Amino acid sequence: MKSFSPQRRLSFGLVAVLLSFSLLPAQTPQKKVEPQKPVGGVSTGAPATYTSRRTVGITDPNAPVVFEDVTDKTALGSFRHRSGGVAKDYIFETPSGGVAIFDYDGDGRPDVYLLNGSTVAATQGKEKAPRAALYRNLGNWKFEDVTDKAGVANERWGFGVAVGDYDNDGYADMYVGNFGVSRLYHNNGNGTFTDVAEKLHVARRGWSTGASWGDYDGDGRLDLFVPGYVQIDLNNLPPSPSEVGKDGGVSQNFCQFRGVPVMCGPRGLPGEGDTLYHQKADGTFEDVSVKAGVNDPEKYYGFSSAFVHVDDDKLLDLIVVNDSTPNQLYINKGNGTFEEIGYPSGVALNENGREQAGMGLAVGDYDNDGRVDFHITNFSDDSNVLYHNDGETNFTDVTFQAGLGEVSIPFLGWGTSFIDFDNDGWLDLFVVNGHVYPVVDAHQWGTSYAQQALLFRNLNGKFERVGAPPGTALAMAWPGRGLAVGDLDDDGRLDLVINNLDSKPAVLRNVAAATGHWLGVRLIGKGPRDAIGSIAYLTTGKIRQRQDVVSGAVYCSQNDMTLHFGLGAATKIDKLEITWAGGGTELVDVTGVDKTITITQGKGAKQ
Amino acid sequence: MCAMKPRQTTLITVLASLLVAASAVVPTLAQKVPDVQATEQVLTGADLTRVVPTSFYFQGQAAPTQMRNSAAARIDNHHVVAGMVDTSGYSAEIRARYQGFFITDGAITVGGESLPIGAYGFGFTNDGKFNILDLGNNQVLSVSTTNDKALRRPRPLMMTMEGRTVRLYAGRDYVVIAPK
Repeated sequence: MKSFSPQRRLSFGLVAVLLSFSLLPAQTPQKKVEPQKPVGGVSTGAPATYTSRRTVGITDPNAPVVFEDVTDKTALGSFRHRSGGVAKDYIFETPSGGVAIFDYDGDGRPDVYLLNGSTVAATQGKEKAPRAALYRNLGNWKFEDVTDKAGVANERWGFGVAVGDYDNDGYADMYVGNFGVSRLYHNNGNGTFTDVAEKLHVARRGWSTGASWGDYDGDGRLDLFVPGYVQIDLNNLPPSPSEVGKDGGVSQNFCQFRGVPVMCGPRGLPGEGDTLYHQKADGTFEDVSVKAGVNDPEKYYGFSSAFVHVDDDKLLDLIVVNDSTPNQLYINKGNGTFEEIGYPSGVALNENGREQAGMGLAVGDYDNDGRVDFHITNFSDDSNVLYHNDGETNFTDVTFQAGLGEVSIPFLGWGTSFIDFDNDGWLDLFVVNGHVYPVVDAHQWGTSYAQQALLFRNLNGKFERVGAPPGTALAMAWPGRGLAVGDLDDDGRLDLVINNLDSKPAVLRNVAAATGHWLGVRLIGKGPRDAIGSIAYLTTGKIRQRQDVVSGAVYCSQNDMTLHFGLGAATKIDKLEITWAGGGTELVDVTGVDKTITITQGKGAKQ
Repeated sequence: MCAMKPRQTTLITVLASLLVAASAVVPTLAQKVPDVQATEQVLTGADLTRVVPTSFYFQGQAAPTQMRNSAAARIDNHHVVAGMVDTSGYSAEIRARYQGFFITDGAITVGGESLPIGAYGFGFTNDGKFNILDLGNNQVLSVSTTNDKALRRPRPLMMTMEGRTVRLYAGRDYVVIAPK
């Protein structure tokens, strides 16, 4: 290898710097310059050796049992997620996929939809594509696989699912964000769905992830936001770790994690912009991303999104969680456009001004101050972040003060949701974890490929990890991704479904013994009918809780839109106030607790 | 599937190409950069875009600049430009030291240490140091940083003016840059 003296190298470098100034377009060198292939891995903390993995096998025999793994007792136990090869040579093999809990047939029982991944061979038609699956909830933990009848197998590389009744016909529809062409499954109301994405102009190409429905312009019709992740050309793939050392392969200097070759990306790979589809009066959609100012010209790596009221001015705002790039917070200006205030609001970065690898998003008022807060999951060797909403669009990173910092550092987080698992009136927090690099299991890096989930109990705004009794669900480890929350057995305790990479899902039944009273609230609005963007404020004694009807978030997943309030010892609702997405506020009389009520806008509650 | 050329070949090709154009480049730069405005200030908008390179060469390869994490200031009729680059293509050893580029077209002091005109790499490290590296990854200077706990909204990289000096921040840590 020919070497250069330091002086010559300095000279060459200076020239290179000068040449790359943007004001010098006319000075292009005549000789052809070999372009530098942009590749990259994930930048993390300093290498360290640990004597334990810290992400598996952490148990507490004295802890109470909160969740029982009932997966194999249900039909969901036969579902197998699959995404690419086991080596995970490419980034698109690692982040799938989402899960939705929603009542597709209107029978009052929440059903489960699990997305599947795919393989390169399947996308090329060389093998059968993995199938997504819809499970109808028959009650008493019986589920029926109705995928074929419903026509929702997808058979594309699935990532995100967001539920919304876009045509206000009373039946919940699904947008499925794919790597490839995305789908809009229209619910026909008879147990079947029809993909109308092309017909309605929302068949987004590229790599679509965690979408969100919301009526941002207040016309009573749901609109759709879809984040884009990374641009990938299957015919021109980035270098893979399997190539290292082979003739013509890449240097080991490329795409490393702690010095070990791994898949490339997202850093170093071109990102994708985001898309906002406005629903027109005729039910078709138009791309208004640029006009609205949410097209993401910087092409950040988008994973999760949610329409939600951030500043409570009656206009639906939008948050986008991005991987390895700043998060975006769009404030609705009320004229069809948004102002991006990620930096000044404080949610773009963590408290130390660092960009993080944002994955999942929990939306909820964890401290019962009437304002919606965010919890965002991140990569390992970094902490998840809890952003407290201080009002007036200011957020403060309170992660470590709240007790969520140090404990999350070894974990690579995905789906996250606020969930009052013990019905005490304070939102607890659940986090699904799992690494992206299988090679982590071959090293003592203090982390692992499959990881335990994390449950945190909310103690008046401070969080404490709930211990994992050996052999119970919290003690198990999965390569988790998507997460959805819903009361699957209508017992007033919130259950969970986790979509695990290349594995069967995990169905977690809430069996917590010491729980308070509760109230479930279903909202039916005048428009949008499924009340996305509506807010319920419930008061018992001195506690005033807030719950928002949200589409999307979590991580490429959908929670059941039935609002769930833990009431603690209270047996009487002092006040229930609904702020409807379509406008108007309504006080609702509620008699009794420990039940689910349905409130129709302008008609009060069906007790 | 992308087959990468050996790094050495790429480097030689790039450097040779750059040398060919070098003589034409330098005078052009001198004409275009507005150095007659004496006001000390942090550059923003088009003024910033104009002086930030889109990519930067450092020890064997060029990496794209993160424009959102770039900053520049004019002090004493000279410019100081810094920016973070996408270091994901570098080895872990280099990434641990190198975060981006640091260019000065006037003699300055950084944390009280002298730094001549030139283009360098830089890195803020966890031990509270700010390191300037030459383009071969050799350390030129190392100074202690100050932690600004009161900073309201830290950014990955930014500059602020303090009189005739500049603070270069990475998060809450900063060093003071002054004309020499």
